[in-house]
Amino acid sequence: MKSDWVINAFLVIGLLVTAVCIVLPLIHAIQLSFFQLESFVSEPKYIGLKNYSETFADSVFWWALLHGCIYAGGSIIFQVSLGIGIALVLSKSFKGQQIVRGLSLLPYLLPVVIVTLTFLWMMDGTLGIITIGLAKIGIRDVPWFETPFTAMAMVIFVSVWLWTPFVTTCFLAGLQTVPKALYDAAKVDGLGPWQTFWQVTIPVLKPILTIIILLRAIWMFNKFEVVWLLTQGGPVGATEHLPILAYRKAFLMFNVGGGAAVATISFMILSIAVFIYFKLSPIEEK
Amino acid sequence: MNSKGKKKDGMTRRDFIKVAGTAGVVGALTLAGPGIPFIHAKEKVTLRFLNSETDADCVKVMAMTSAEYEKKTGVKVLVDTLPAQDAFSKLTASIKGGMPYDMSCLIFMGDVLLLARDGHLVPVTSLTKKYKFGPRILIPYKNEQYWYPYDYNLCTMFYRKDLYQQKGLNVAKTWDQLVENCKALMLDENKDGVYERHGIALPIGTGGPASYMSFAFLWAEGVKIFDDNFKIIFDSPEMGPKVIKFLDFFEELYKTMPSGMTQIGFAPPLTLFASEKITHTVFTGKICTHIDKFAPQLADKYGMTPYMDSKGVSKAVSFGYDGWVVVKTKYSEESMKFMEWFTENHYIDFLHSSPLGFQPPRMDIYDDPRWRADPMIKKYWWAMQAMWDYLKDPNLIIASIDTQGPYVDVRGGKIFNSFALPEMLQNKLLKKMSSNECLKVAAAKLRKSIA
Repeated sequence: MKSDWVINAFLVIGLLVTAVCIVLPLIHAIQLSFFQLESFVSEPKYIGLKNYSETFADSVFWWALLHGCIYAGGSIIFQVSLGIGIALVLSKSFKGQQIVRGLSLLPYLLPVVIVTLTFLWMMDGTLGIITIGLAKIGIRDVPWFETPFTAMAMVIFVSVWLWTPFVTTCFLAGLQTVPKALYDAAKVDGLGPWQTFWQVTIPVLKPILTIIILLRAIWMFNKFEVVWLLTQGGPVGATEHLPILAYRKAFLMFNVGGGAAVATISFMILSIAVFIYFKLSPIEEK
Repeated sequence: MNSKGKKKDGMTRRDFIKVAGTAGVVGALTLAGPGIPFIHAKEKVTLRFLNSETDADCVKVMAMTSAEYEKKTGVKVLVDTLPAQDAFSKLTASIKGGMPYDMSCLIFMGDVLLLARDGHLVPVTSLTKKYKFGPRILIPYKNEQYWYPYDYNLCTMFYRKDLYQQKGLNVAKTWDQLVENCKALMLDENKDGVYERHGIALPIGTGGPASYMSFAFLWAEGVKIFDDNFKIIFDSPEMGPKVIKFLDFFEELYKTMPSGMTQIGFAPPLTLFASEKITHTVFTGKICTHIDKFAPQLADKYGMTPYMDSKGVSKAVSFGYDGWVVVKTKYSEESMKFMEWFTENHYIDFLHSSPLGFQPPRMDIYDDPRWRADPMIKKYWWAMQAMWDYLKDPNLIIASIDTQGPYVDVRGGKIFNSFALPEMLQNKLLKKMSSNECLKVAAAKLRKSIA
C-alpha cells in the first residue's frame, strides 16, 4: 500500500539520521573511553577500563554528579511548578490573553547565548543594571557568582527563565484537551479550584506531565552552555557538573579518553534514571 | 494489513525496521569510516585557513589578502573565523574528519607541539629563520619551528597618571606600594561606604582571564611551578613561602577591587578603567585604542608599568601569544607559499588591524617605517616603545602558566586548564581559607592535572 511506503520511507530517514547523528557518535564516544589519547588526532593507546576506574576514584566526578543533580533537580522543580502555574493562568479567558500567551513564549525563542550573556551583564558586580538597581535600594555587593550557593542559584535561575515557557506551552496545550464535562462534574461534586486541579487536571494530564518532566530532566542534566557561559563550573568547582567535567577533560586537559568516560557514565546514569522513571510513572496507553 | 500492523503476507513492519535500521547503520558506518580522503577540486587549488582573530578589522584584512592572493596566483584561500579557544578543537576535528584546514591560528604552544609530535604539521623554519624573534616566543621541536608567532599579547599594568600626580603618589615598585596606591585612589564621594571608584580589577574566576591577567606578580616574585624535570615545586620550601606571601598580598589588593571579580573576563578590566571605575588595570596595549575610542578624555592621563615583586627588585609581564601553523595536507607546499607571501607582504597589514593589540614578536617590525606609520602606533608610541623595551630588557620576566617548565610541553597546557591557580585565589578570597591551605590545595590539583 502506498501509505505504508510513505511511513516506511519516513522511518528509514529517521533511522538513518538517528544512526548517523546519535548512534555512531555514541559508539565512538564509548569506544574512545577505553583509550588514552591527548587529542582527537593523537595515536590512541588501549587502556581497558582505566579511564573508568580513575573517574570513579576521583572525588571531582562525584561532586560533579551531585552538582548536576542539584542543577537539574532545582531547574525542573521551578520550571515545572512555574510552568504549570502560568499555563493555568493563561488558560483562563481575559483581555489580551493571546498577546500574553505569545509574550510568555518569548524567552524560549531567544538564543541561549544571548540570554545568558545578557544576564551576565545585568548581574555584573559593578556595571550590571540589576546590581546598580539593587544598590539604589540599599542592597549592595550582591555576590552573584561568588559563593557556591549563589552561583548555583544563578545558573538555575537563568535556566528557569529560559525554559519555563516550554513547560507552559506543553501544559497549556494539554489543558485544552481536558473535557469540560469533567470540570462541570467536579463543580457539581462541590470541588474547589485546588481540589479540581489535583483530582481532575493533574490525573488527566499525567502522561503529558510525565513526558515534560522526563524531557526537562534529560535536557537539564546534559545542559552545558548556560553553566559554561555563566560560571565555567566555578567558583571553586561549585557549578561543575558532568557535561562540563567531560568537556574540560576532553578538550582542555588533553584527556579525550577520560572525557569520553565521563560522558559515557553520564549517558548510563541517564538511561538508568529514565528506565526507573518509566517504571515508577508509566505512561498509560489509551 | 491486520490490526497489529502486520501484513498478511511478506515482511512485517518490525522486520522492515530491523532491515532498514541495520542497512542504515552499516551504510553510515561505511561512510563514516576511516580512509575517506577529502577530495579537493582538481581544477583549482583551494586552501582553508582557520583564523581565530575575530576582530572585524582583522577579518577584513584576511578577506582582502586572500582575494589579492587569488587574483595573483589563482589559488583561493577560504578563511573561517572562530573564537581562539575553539581553534584547536576545530582543527583536530577537521583533521580527524578527513577535511583538514591547511593553515590555522593556535593559541597554546602545547597544542602546537602536540600536533607537531603526532606528525600533523609541517615545519615553518624556512619562514621564521629569516627574522629575529623576541624572547620565549619560538618553540623549537626537533630542531624545527612548527609555528609562526604573530603577536605577544604582553599583559602589563596601567595606572592613572593624572591621579597619581594629584595625590603625589609614586609608581608602585613593591606589592605593598601597589596596595597603598590603590587604596589612596579609591573614592567614596558620599562617605556612605559605597565606592564610586575602586583601586584595581583583576579577574579571579575559573577560566583563562584570571590565569592570564592575575599571576604575573608570582612570576615577578620568582615563583616557578615546575622544576627542570617537570616536577611540581609550587609548594616547595623555596616557592611555597613566596606563593603564601602573594596570597596575603592579593587579599589586601582584593579589598580595593569592585565586586564581581569572579565574573569578569578579558574586556571588563578595560571598560572599568575607561569608565573611571578603577584606577589601575592590566591588559595589552589594546587598552590605548580602546581609550582613544571610548574615553578620549583619558588619552594622556595614564601610564604603564610591569607587574612588580614584593621587594621592588624584579618585574614581570605575562604573555598570551598567538601564532600560525601549516597543517600537513596535500596542499602543504601551496600553504607554505601562501604563508611566505602573506608574512612578507601583508603581515604589517594584519598587525595594523589591531595596532597596539598585536604586539609583534618579530623584532625587525619595530624598526619598519611602514608599521610605525600607523596613526595609532604613532600616537601611542610611548606605550609601544615601553612594550618593545620589555622584550629587550633581559631582567624583565616574560612568563605564563602554560609556558612553565624547562621547555614548552603539553603539561603547561594541562596545569593552565586545571584552573588550579584561579581556584587558589577563590579559596583565599571567597572561601576565606588560610594561605597555607590554599597553597596545599592548589599544589595537589596541579599534581593531579599532570598525573
